Amino acid sequence: MIELRNVVKRYDNIHAVNGLSLSVPRGAIFGFIGPNGAGKTTTIKMLGGLIQPDRGEVFIKGISMKTEPEKAKQIIGFIPDRPYLYEKLTGMEFLKFIVDLYGMKEARFKEKAEAVLERFSLLDWRHELIEAYSHGMRQRLIMAAAILHEPEILIVDEPMVGLDPAGIKMVKTLFKELADTGVSFFISTHTLSIAQDLCDQIGIIRRGRLIAKGTLNDLQVHAGATSGDLEDVFLKLTQEESLGQIYYGDMDGK
Amino acid sequence: MNHITTLLTPRLLSFKNAKNGGKGKLIVFGALGVAFWGGLFVVSLRVLNYFQSIEELGNILSWKLMSMTLVIYFSLLIFSSLLNALSTLYLSKDLLLVHSTPAPGYQIFFARWIESAADSSWMIIIYTLPVLISYGIIYDGGTFYYFLIAWTLLLLSVIASIISAVVVMVAVVVMPPGRVRSIFVLLGLMLFLMLYLAFRLVRPERLVDPEAFETVLSYLSILKTPSSPFLPTSWAYDALYATLNGFARDGFLDLMLLFTCAGAMISLAVIIADAIYVKGVSKSQTARKPLLKPGNVKNARVLAFLSRPAQAYVVKEIKTFFRDQTQWSQIFLILALIVIYIYNFKVLPLDKSPIKTVYLQNILSFLNMGLASFVLTAVTGRFAYPAVSIEGEAFWLVRSAPIKIRTFLWIKFFIYFIPLLILTELLIVATNLMLDVETFMMVLSVITILFIVPAVVSLGVGLGAAYPDFNAENAAQAITSFGGLMFMMVAAIYITVVIVLEASPVYHIYMSGVFNRDLPLARWVWIIGSFALAAGVSILAVIYPMKYGEKKLSGKILDTSVVNI
Repeated sequence: MIELRNVVKRYDNIHAVNGLSLSVPRGAIFGFIGPNGAGKTTTIKMLGGLIQPDRGEVFIKGISMKTEPEKAKQIIGFIPDRPYLYEKLTGMEFLKFIVDLYGMKEARFKEKAEAVLERFSLLDWRHELIEAYSHGMRQRLIMAAAILHEPEILIVDEPMVGLDPAGIKMVKTLFKELADTGVSFFISTHTLSIAQDLCDQIGIIRRGRLIAKGTLNDLQVHAGATSGDLEDVFLKLTQEESLGQIYYGDMDGK
Repeated sequence: MNHITTLLTPRLLSFKNAKNGGKGKLIVFGALGVAFWGGLFVVSLRVLNYFQSIEELGNILSWKLMSMTLVIYFSLLIFSSLLNALSTLYLSKDLLLVHSTPAPGYQIFFARWIESAADSSWMIIIYTLPVLISYGIIYDGGTFYYFLIAWTLLLLSVIASIISAVVVMVAVVVMPPGRVRSIFVLLGLMLFLMLYLAFRLVRPERLVDPEAFETVLSYLSILKTPSSPFLPTSWAYDALYATLNGFARDGFLDLMLLFTCAGAMISLAVIIADAIYVKGVSKSQTARKPLLKPGNVKNARVLAFLSRPAQAYVVKEIKTFFRDQTQWSQIFLILALIVIYIYNFKVLPLDKSPIKTVYLQNILSFLNMGLASFVLTAVTGRFAYPAVSIEGEAFWLVRSAPIKIRTFLWIKFFIYFIPLLILTELLIVATNLMLDVETFMMVLSVITILFIVPAVVSLGVGLGAAYPDFNAENAAQAITSFGGLMFMMVAAIYITVVIVLEASPVYHIYMSGVFNRDLPLARWVWIIGSFALAAGVSILAVIYPMKYGEKKLSGKILDTSVVNI
């Protein structure tokens, strides 16, 4: 359902993503982890069609994001890490905006929107302007909007940022339910416990390259870690890379 | 004091580290700024020179002009400081961070007030300088006069900004939370409209018609400006007047009055800030309430002919526009501008003109096409140019949505094109009716505007897309950016080209009508060629800017991408 083929993205001299290739099958939840500055958000943005790779290609259900971006985006739900929304719309109006934008059928919009808002505990706030929402409520609203048009793929950047414990639990349950119905997930996160609990497969990115991919057990074996804890595996594989050690690539621009 | 300098450091460092787009922009902005300053200086010198040539009355007029300049300077400062103080003291994004530090509230206030005072007055000071320097040259001011100008302007701006800061602090504590910004926008708007209408209703056109006045006294009485021994502008005026007339010591005393007033006001403001500033900040954190209650979410039937994404954007644009109270003030200002524009045509003394009235009516009507197009450019610059920038940090929604950037831009184009077309056509038809022009001029005006409006809107939306600012706190500021300046310049050139291309053909057609002569075939070919060229330029001006905007915007990534890898 999701495929990256030898994708490269640079910002000036910084090699943010360097020859990344991977695929995620239907109904799978793929967790994407890595140190700060490893290239996770850049990958997410390329998958969502927000930025174009310099080389390589992104395919969504076999549709090229390069040649048919609108068609590819039609089947994606995108959830960014920072919940910037239209402040002067109400929650309900924002959902209507999304429904219109994705050209969904208008029939039963109200019931569907209210059901989704209820699930995200936003029903009482549906007629309030978004500018009055807290950070967590905005994050919930973005999630509600992302699933409203029934996407086949969800691209999620840091899903639990700003959510309270009840919200985190609800989102985990929701993602699992959606995966059971065949929705594929690509989730970038720093919260290793979430990746461990939620994901069928985990990829670790470092300096723009995929350094490991597999189930938690596969990664454990690969890293030679003794405990089954993803944190140990992650630290062993990434050796606590920090932002200051981003791979700067070949400076002559080759 | 330590905290105050520390609190000012981020602003100073940000200014130092800012990359304003390189030398090109700096040169363009710098050259325009210097040209405008120079122009103002030359005009001031010429006006004062002219006054000097009028016996007796000349000097009186010069001093009246200085008094008016100082009053206008002070009023502008108060108006600009009111809105600036509100946003710097209570609405800044870094406010919570600053207030979480151990710096005392009054010191935070003081640091913020310095920022606000500098922001709201630097430009007004720079552009008042050439007027006052001209006085120094004409009246042979001497070194002390120039020293006095610098201090007078500085102290007036300190006094104006501190008054505004105190008014804002008290208002935030007294007014209901959530309404503060709306109320201030409306107050500011009313103040501005009052000044604007007061100026307009004085009918300055009468000043060039002294026959309308029975005596010199009645002529001078209409030039009256507020003067009171307790007004800082009076002290400033007295200081400059005395120094220019050789009484530097008196001038110095008046300067001291300004100094002591500014010092006392600052001390008083700090005491007030210590008592109420933090309380006000806490109150202002309450969510803002909309002045209009949100309605239902069904799209209006009139939009049914549009595609769903187009409907989505039209509805979103209209709702966000009318719920943003800062937009209202702009609408009121534009309405006032239009009323005054039409009123000006109504009071034109056409019958007193030595030129034949019918001829003059048609010349005015032709020039009116250009004037109306410049009004259109100003309105487009304020509303259509920031159309892409107002998406702000929510622009990711556009990038991740299943619509093309081209579609998005054309939706934006039509959202602004239709109301602007109606507005400009109304303007041109109303003024032409007042001028009582001939049918030919009326038809020509309506058709020309029909071509000009889409071109100017396309320039606005296209260049706005090419130079977006998704981080701007206020969309209105977008037009003051490099892209905004480009838009204004290109639109002005385009309008001039169209008007010039039409000028000669219109003249020949009109004259052939007046003298009842037939035009030769070659002339007709040339006339049709000119009109066709004007139409061609307009069509290009619709297509190319949109393509340019699309190309540039498609290539852009969110600013945060570079750091947020």
